[in-house]
Amino acid sequence: MSIRIEGLSKKFAGHVAVQNASIEVGTGKLVALLGPSGSGKTTLLRLIAGLEFPDAGQVFFHGEEVTQKSAYERRAGFVFQHYALFQHLSVFDNIAFGLEVRSRATRPAKEEIRERVHNLLKLVQLEAFAKRFPSQLSGGQRQRIALARALAIEPRVLLLDEPFGALDAKVRKELRAWLRRFHDETHITSLFVTHDQEEAFEVADEVVILNHGSIQQIGAPGLIQREPANAFVQDFLGLDFQI
Amino acid sequence: MRRILPGFPLTLGFSVIYLTLIVLIPFAALAAKAFSGSWLHLWQVITSPRVVASYELSFGTSLLASLINGFFGFITAWVLTRYQFPGRKILDSLVDLPFALPTAVAGIALTALYAPNGWVGSLLAKVGIAAAFNRLGIVIALVFIGFPFVVRTLQPVLASLSEEVEEASALLGATRFQTFRRVIFPAALPALLTGITLSFGRAIGEYGSIVFISGNIPFKTEITPLLIVAKLEQYDYQGAAGIGLVMLLASFSILVVVNGVQWWNARRINPTH
Amino acid sequence: MAGAIQDLTAVRSKTRLRRATEEGPLVRWMLILLSVGFFAAFLLLPLVAVFAEGFRRGATLYFKTFTDPVTLDAIKLTLVTAAIAVPCNTLFGVAAAWAITRFEFRGKQFFSTLIDLPLWVSPVVGGLIYVLLFGSQGVLGPWLQAHHWRIIYATPGIVIATVFVTFPFVARGLIPLMQAQGVAEEEAALTLGARGWQVFLRVTLPKIKWGLLYGIILANARAMGEFGAVSVVSGHIRGLTNTVPLQIEILYNEYAFAAAFALASLLSLLALVTLGVKTYVEWRARQQLEQAQS
Repeated sequence: MSIRIEGLSKKFAGHVAVQNASIEVGTGKLVALLGPSGSGKTTLLRLIAGLEFPDAGQVFFHGEEVTQKSAYERRAGFVFQHYALFQHLSVFDNIAFGLEVRSRATRPAKEEIRERVHNLLKLVQLEAFAKRFPSQLSGGQRQRIALARALAIEPRVLLLDEPFGALDAKVRKELRAWLRRFHDETHITSLFVTHDQEEAFEVADEVVILNHGSIQQIGAPGLIQREPANAFVQDFLGLDFQI
Repeated sequence: MRRILPGFPLTLGFSVIYLTLIVLIPFAALAAKAFSGSWLHLWQVITSPRVVASYELSFGTSLLASLINGFFGFITAWVLTRYQFPGRKILDSLVDLPFALPTAVAGIALTALYAPNGWVGSLLAKVGIAAAFNRLGIVIALVFIGFPFVVRTLQPVLASLSEEVEEASALLGATRFQTFRRVIFPAALPALLTGITLSFGRAIGEYGSIVFISGNIPFKTEITPLLIVAKLEQYDYQGAAGIGLVMLLASFSILVVVNGVQWWNARRINPTH
Repeated sequence: MAGAIQDLTAVRSKTRLRRATEEGPLVRWMLILLSVGFFAAFLLLPLVAVFAEGFRRGATLYFKTFTDPVTLDAIKLTLVTAAIAVPCNTLFGVAAAWAITRFEFRGKQFFSTLIDLPLWVSPVVGGLIYVLLFGSQGVLGPWLQAHHWRIIYATPGIVIATVFVTFPFVARGLIPLMQAQGVAEEEAALTLGARGWQVFLRVTLPKIKWGLLYGIILANARAMGEFGAVSVVSGHIRGLTNTVPLQIEILYNEYAFAAAFALASLLSLLALVTLGVKTYVEWRARQQLEQAQS
């Protein structure tokens, strides 16, 4: 399931958040959207998810245009920066939510829901926590539950908004490695937003660098480091000046 | 513009229709009635001596009551946010009593208390003070109903005052009173003004708690809302509407003042805003 | 600077551990007594008086008040009015809060101010507007009379006037809460496939339940106790258009003091219960708010 966006633009109350963005994310790839704060990367991610609608441009999932489709119609799994777990529901109910709200025709049987939720909990290594509530979990655990919840609906693509932004350094490093391993196992097309270049370069297959809403460079981590496209990229990544 | 979250047309549509039916149309009727018929009559009613006397009464007593509430309300808010003492929690919940108690109940209770044969009234009579069926009675009743406004407006502000600022002041050599006068009070002043204004706004429109204790003596203790009722009973709808408009204007001005205080306060903190 | 610190240390050693940001105990207790004294004299005393006066002619007479048919009619009318006004305004409050806190639109500020209107306006004006609209000489008066519909001097008028004075409460209880809670959970629910009503019922409603209850309780207390607005529209027709507050006024004006206070004590109990429930619900709502901010 590939993602392609062409010429996406979005303005908020007079200030341009995203300008003429075009990206291609190949099937099964893990791509990072990297940039300083205010560069429009979260807006871009939300445009792809269907949580915002663009002023111009198009979004394609596997060749099919989804620009006018709502978030759910796109079947994009979204993991929020601050998890957005349902505080009043248990971990189990959080993960099962996407299955519970389906219409009668498409909703799986209770037994099947239970099995799927437990499989997901196993996948994120939190099986013992099914009955707990989000307020009883640590940041890293909440993040993994948010991921499991998004995966429960079997999304076509996975979109993560600064997934490790709210965690401290040690947990961040561990989860980073975990995410890479996870992606290698599941091969789900994923796009994640970060302002941490170490994170982007360590985890992603490809990095998209943004500044002030426009794309500065797209490429594999090694390539960008060898051949920065412009002064901004150089500056932002702290690379040595090369002629 | 497509919106992400659902329900915009439904919720806004319903609320707007509801407000139009309950508020806008009736207020339009008020304006229509006021200006139907002779404008001279309208003017005569709203400027007649009896009505003007009621403006003065309502304004004067409300102002006095709000200032009294400002003083005691400040102390109460201070005491509730800064000190621990037995019964603090109960006092805190009971502050809202005038807000929760029906105005008619407050009205008859206060009258019973302050009438010459009441518990407090008889004590005051010994010293030659009459506290019912006169202005003093009205002020007392207005103090009662306006009290929560000052306290509740001040409490969050006093609670959020940074302790470090006070410590800095003390370290620089200020006595406690100086710290209060120069640091704490100015910070709380906007909230105090807002509370007093809210109390004032409630007081000038108050009816149920006043009509019993005031005695309703023409030119002396008739409050403006009472005159609206009087005009209605005489079927002078236009006159009633006229006085109603005057009251609305007064309420609106108070609203403007409150917003003005907030704006002034914001400007004070952010001069370049 | 050194001098100030020396002074501070001197002050500290003199008064034994008094912090730099505290008043002396004498000042503190004076203030406490002053505020408690004021409170007791001005606020508590009337409440006590209500019950004292109610029982003045003995307990039997007190309870007999509630068996009087006219009084019972008044109680019934009050209950019916609240039973209609409060749910209507709850619906309105939820809709308005959703519209205001979830969307941007032109005129939002004006709309928000309009919701507060009844709190600014005299209750008598609140009744006046409906008399001017529906009364016999009102704008719609002739039309209503032609259809034999009575609104003023009848129950519908009382209900409408009550709806007017109580509609801000639920909205005001919800708006700050929903604003602080933000939309992240609702957006998450959308990405997981929930439709509009599911988002509201499964995600929003559980989050706002204490704020909602808070608004409903306040609205109810006001609905049952409203006097000014209802007095204007009711016509005071005994047994038909008298609510409890109006009945209290009638009894009082007829010098049936003990009965008036007995009824008043009923409303006072309601007020106390309201305050108690309010305090509890406020505490829970604050918990929800703090949770949302963590």
